[in-house]
Amino acid sequence: MTSQTPTLRQTPFALPTFNRESVIVSLLAILTLVGGIAGVGRLFLGLGSTTALSDVYSWGIWIGFDFLLIALSGVGFTMAAVVHVLHLEQFKPALRPAILFGLLGYVAVLLLLVLDLGRPDRFYHFILFWNVHSPLFEISWCVLLYTTVLAIEVSPYLSERLGWRKPLAWFFRLITPVTIVGVTLSSLHQSTLGTLYLNMPHRLHALWYTPLLPLLFFVSSVLAGLSVAMLVYQVAVRIRRKPLETSVLTGLGKGVAGVALFYLLLKLADILIAGKVAALFAFDRPSWLMWAELLPGVLLPALLLGLPSLRRKPLMWWVAPLLVVVFAIGLNRFNATLFAQVNLPGDALYTPHLLEWLSTFGILSAAALAWYVGMRLLVIFDSRAEKEFGH
Amino acid sequence: MTTQPTQTVTRRNFLKGSGVAALALWGLTATTPAAASSGAVDDDAFGMLIDITRCHGCNSCALACKKANDLPLSQDPPTCLDCKSYSYINECEAAAPDSAEQTRYVKRQCMHCLHPGCVSACTVGALRKTAEGPVVYDSDKCIGCRYCQYACPFGVPAYEWNNPLGLIHKCEMCFERLQAGEQPACVEACPTGAIQFGRRKDLLMQAHARINFDPDRYVHKVYGEYEAGGTSVLYLSDVPFADLGLPTLSDQSVPHYAEGMMTKTPVVALTVAAAATGLHFARKDKGHEAADHVDQEDAS
Ligand code: SF4
Ligand code: SF4
Repeated sequence: MTSQTPTLRQTPFALPTFNRESVIVSLLAILTLVGGIAGVGRLFLGLGSTTALSDVYSWGIWIGFDFLLIALSGVGFTMAAVVHVLHLEQFKPALRPAILFGLLGYVAVLLLLVLDLGRPDRFYHFILFWNVHSPLFEISWCVLLYTTVLAIEVSPYLSERLGWRKPLAWFFRLITPVTIVGVTLSSLHQSTLGTLYLNMPHRLHALWYTPLLPLLFFVSSVLAGLSVAMLVYQVAVRIRRKPLETSVLTGLGKGVAGVALFYLLLKLADILIAGKVAALFAFDRPSWLMWAELLPGVLLPALLLGLPSLRRKPLMWWVAPLLVVVFAIGLNRFNATLFAQVNLPGDALYTPHLLEWLSTFGILSAAALAWYVGMRLLVIFDSRAEKEFGH
Repeated sequence: MTTQPTQTVTRRNFLKGSGVAALALWGLTATTPAAASSGAVDDDAFGMLIDITRCHGCNSCALACKKANDLPLSQDPPTCLDCKSYSYINECEAAAPDSAEQTRYVKRQCMHCLHPGCVSACTVGALRKTAEGPVVYDSDKCIGCRYCQYACPFGVPAYEWNNPLGLIHKCEMCFERLQAGEQPACVEACPTGAIQFGRRKDLLMQAHARINFDPDRYVHKVYGEYEAGGTSVLYLSDVPFADLGLPTLSDQSVPHYAEGMMTKTPVVALTVAAAATGLHFARKDKGHEAADHVDQEDAS
């Protein structure tokens, strides 16, 4: 245990030397600072002068990154389900880095949402005024509740570090219901993000618009979750200088390959059944965008992690999940929000304002920094409390 | 457990969790969506009939709209819908085969859909379809999320971009005037009778009567009768509606699929919770067995 207790020298507040870790941390800190100033500036100046948004492109990169980040933060419910619902205990080492990523991801989502709201001072209105038909209403509630669930799930990492035994005992008694509530809330809002686009039949290109959107968004959040779990586990063991358990990665890799294939099948089935094959082979902009999602984003990682010989290669543990994150999830969420929006007035254009970029990267950097500090200071690996109170 | 470093799982185990929930969702999406139900629309609800052949583009309506809604006046008449103009005349180059007139003037404003996407989408229910017909907006609720702009097939709701506490702006068919027994300001201002106000069902009958009376003059269709599930505002024209900048839309209302899904939220929640609970208990012991399972293939 003592070996993992960070000494002052190891904390980011006293960076010892000029190495890769300290450079990355400093960079994140600078981005956070600049982004914070940009974000505060936006709150005072309003959207008109600080963004490139317009009545046609009313949602920009804030919303794009928001929906991307929600999918990636699906790592929280995915890994909680793997370990506590399916009882695949062998993935426990990857659980805590994942849950903390989930929590900070959702906090970043909330910050981005507040920046994007036209009336940030009324962010709480969804609690007072209900519209149960509105996907965004449901998403708001689920995100709020699920962020609370994630905070509860992270609490024992801190309690154990601080030696608070009472809350620890309570937490391990409640872990099953908390997990199930979290999985339920996640399934709801991850799929409802797809439902959100069902209200845009006139705007969303036919290759993306399908009644299956809720299902596609849900499955892709699991795909995103397993991929992010691979990535954050590898980063976490490096930060904590722990031995890498390869079986965790090959196991998660199999999961990514399986879910990717299932997702690919769903997408192809939709295109076939709805008669959109011609659109897929039109080789115009939307068609290329769809191919870019499907081939490098879904099929390639499925192969890289599906074939046993490739799955054992450490390089694939980085390449394949990154492909999923960038193409299958990142591009997909940005396509739905921006690039695959059609039937708009011809002269409409959206080139994000510098302030949008700075504030976005500021918030993402802050979350990354917080995750790093968490990896350093919290009980992440080899929890004794888990052995003592757990089952 | 870290004490057993070489265990792994089969893909089957992995997919089980997501598979069950996914199947449940699949089943739910595949069923027929519930009819869009944003507010019950009165059969006697009001509407407007705009006859393109009678409009000369004098802009009296746009001016009256600005006055009625206390919007800032500008030198030139508005050329698009924005937070300062709830109505404008869209000048379109479009000619009927046997007409010398090259320009058509299309009065645009909120269509007051029968099943409005904006109402269904609004996060906080700030938009509402009234039984009287108008789709109205409660600025005290709005959080400025701008989802309504994406859910409107006519590009109507406009955001006040230059205000740090900006809100949404759109035509409300002069709801307050209607309640006082008056007509919408634009209707009253129109010198040629190109905009008519009345009960939607009467206006529809009138529109079809006009087409039947002069079938060579009019396109044989009332725009808005079925578009996006029907709108309270209707158009008659002598040139194809697509040439007038009016979007070509299906008869399905915008919220059709989304509301079908949203009304199933409790079912989805219960299904997932039950499936997760079931799996948790079903696999409670199996989990420890699986923990002893070593996959040779990846044990390297
Ligand atoms: S035209 Fe647009 S703003 Fe007007 S009711 Fe229909 S969806 Fe709402
Ligand atoms: S911007 Fe306002 S009116 Fe439009 S959907 Fe959001 S809360 Fe509703």
